[in-house]
Amino acid sequence: MKSKLLMIIKIGWLSIWRNKRRTLISLFSIVIGTGIPTFFVCIAWGFYAGLIDDVARLMSGHVTYEHVDYRNSPSNDLWVGDIQKINKTLNSNAEVLSTKQIVNLQGVAHTAKGSVGISLMGIEPSKEIAISFLPESIVEGEYLSEGDGRWVIVGNKLAENLNVNVGKKFVFTTSDIKGELVEELFRVKGIFKTGSKEIDGHFVQSDIELARMVAGLSSNDVSQLGIIVKNPDTHERFLREMQKTLAKKNGVFLSWQQIMPDVATTIHMDRTAITSIMVLLVVIVLFTMFSTILMSTLERKREFASLLAIGTQQIELKLQIFIETIIFGLIACPLGSLLGVGVAKWTEGYDMMDVVGGKAGDMSVGGFGMDTIITPLFSVPLILQISIFFFLAVQLLSVLPVYLISRISITDELRSI
Amino acid sequence: MNTKREIVSLHNVIKNYGHGKIITKALREIDLKILEGEFSAMMGPSGSGKSTLLNIIGGLDKATSGEVKFNGKDFNILSNKALSIMRRNHIGFVFQNYNLLPVLTAYENAEYVLMLQEIPISQRKEKVMHLFQEMGLEGLEHRFPRELSGGQQQRVAIARAVVTDPLLVLADEITANVDSETAQSLLELMKKLNKNNKTTFLFSTHDPTVIKFAKRVIVLKDGKISHEHTSSENIEKYTQK
Repeated sequence: MKSKLLMIIKIGWLSIWRNKRRTLISLFSIVIGTGIPTFFVCIAWGFYAGLIDDVARLMSGHVTYEHVDYRNSPSNDLWVGDIQKINKTLNSNAEVLSTKQIVNLQGVAHTAKGSVGISLMGIEPSKEIAISFLPESIVEGEYLSEGDGRWVIVGNKLAENLNVNVGKKFVFTTSDIKGELVEELFRVKGIFKTGSKEIDGHFVQSDIELARMVAGLSSNDVSQLGIIVKNPDTHERFLREMQKTLAKKNGVFLSWQQIMPDVATTIHMDRTAITSIMVLLVVIVLFTMFSTILMSTLERKREFASLLAIGTQQIELKLQIFIETIIFGLIACPLGSLLGVGVAKWTEGYDMMDVVGGKAGDMSVGGFGMDTIITPLFSVPLILQISIFFFLAVQLLSVLPVYLISRISITDELRSI
Repeated sequence: MNTKREIVSLHNVIKNYGHGKIITKALREIDLKILEGEFSAMMGPSGSGKSTLLNIIGGLDKATSGEVKFNGKDFNILSNKALSIMRRNHIGFVFQNYNLLPVLTAYENAEYVLMLQEIPISQRKEKVMHLFQEMGLEGLEHRFPRELSGGQQQRVAIARAVVTDPLLVLADEITANVDSETAQSLLELMKKLNKNNKTTFLFSTHDPTVIKFAKRVIVLKDGKISHEHTSSENIEKYTQK
């Protein structure tokens, strides 16, 4: 049985090399067909992973704990309490990289030049320095530190619109948790630039104690508790577990997709577009391969008939055809994956803007600026998925030749025995 | 008293092609027996039904009606798979165009059917090498069909047909593509195999050389057996006509 199978494999292997040029063209088409989506996926998924991580670290984590009604109306008076206990439990969880306590306040910033609607985010500066890219985006002045009091950092567009710079002050008007109007004087400690119009034009960060004081919250209350997980791919499962074990009556754990649906939708659409390109490539590759396999089968009909005559069984011939396409797939799909990964690796570190033309900040997803430096994501399961997908698609090609083999009339093909 | 067993037994075999009103009668009420160890040839003009008869005897085609028995088994009731196994184990085929697998060497072509039979490698090697020696194919084992002459290819094809020690070897116009000298040597070889191994041969041919070698000649005309010659004298007469 083993030697019979080996013989069939050998015949299959040797048969595909009968017409070397045709075989090489087919192999090339599969290599390219597998390589291009692999390259795109490595690059695009790398961008998305970077974006998701940046946004999660800047905003409210991969998973966020907040008031059940906060998503419908992010009002200043919707907060969650008893947060220190939850925070401690989360920080002792092996899946958690870090947490960030956040107090968000929506309000208006005023200077003599005018008024701008802003979002104040009170954070723990020491933690923010460890997890967020914002401290590195300071272009003037300094980032925050604990006990900074009224010092805040603002985006460069906001600074421009309010006509403030480092050391200057502006008035922030908002409402506290009781709905009372509150006015506070803030002083600019630093100006940041992220490339995102929304963040640079309407975002202000302060020490969380200042935000709590303005809102009238205690040190055990927050608007949101952001959770940065070690493996973002498993955040959905983590979320469900936390919801079961930690959520209070008025609190809910949400994923970054629920917190930032615009980002999630845009990424989903981009991924769908890349998947569509992949499907198109599959069709092109299959078409090229189809003619090869079909021609190779049709031109051997007499040979197959003589093999059937001397006692080869239909199933053995079908296996031979099937093995031929398996060999095609086994050679070309891994090579295609290697090609895609290799090219993606080669482009690592290049600025996308240098390739497509434009400047940093031109690319944004859901209002968040994307890092345009190419950082491919080499996800083995994902690369394998593409390779296996192409491999299986190529195997489909053997269906018609196998069907034709089953219809061979020995006597017609041989005319006489 | 003849103690030789019947390898092939045909009774009232009819083969029609076509459907409806347009029917071609390829074979008409054929009765034929082939005994073990025979060295027979079928001859007749083109369209006389030689190939159709050979196809039916070899289990490659089914009769429209009538009884076809091979080694006591009724071909009409065997499934395609059973027929395939029957051919693999008991019938050898030699084709006019050799039909060797071009990607396999001479040795591998001869070994192929043994491999299908799942014969152990040591036995396969012994059988093929012995046969190659007997057939003058020594030294050609590793050559591919394209590296062999027509006569050498036909020898390999004969080796492939007889390597399984079949009950019957069916040979169709095997001398058509070789010169007369090669044809003579191929027939001598098969005669030797017939004598030494008691292998039964049935040829379909136009070639007088084959007829000269045959102990029995079956003449077909319009799908019927018109007559047979069994003595060498009659065969001589026939080939001289």
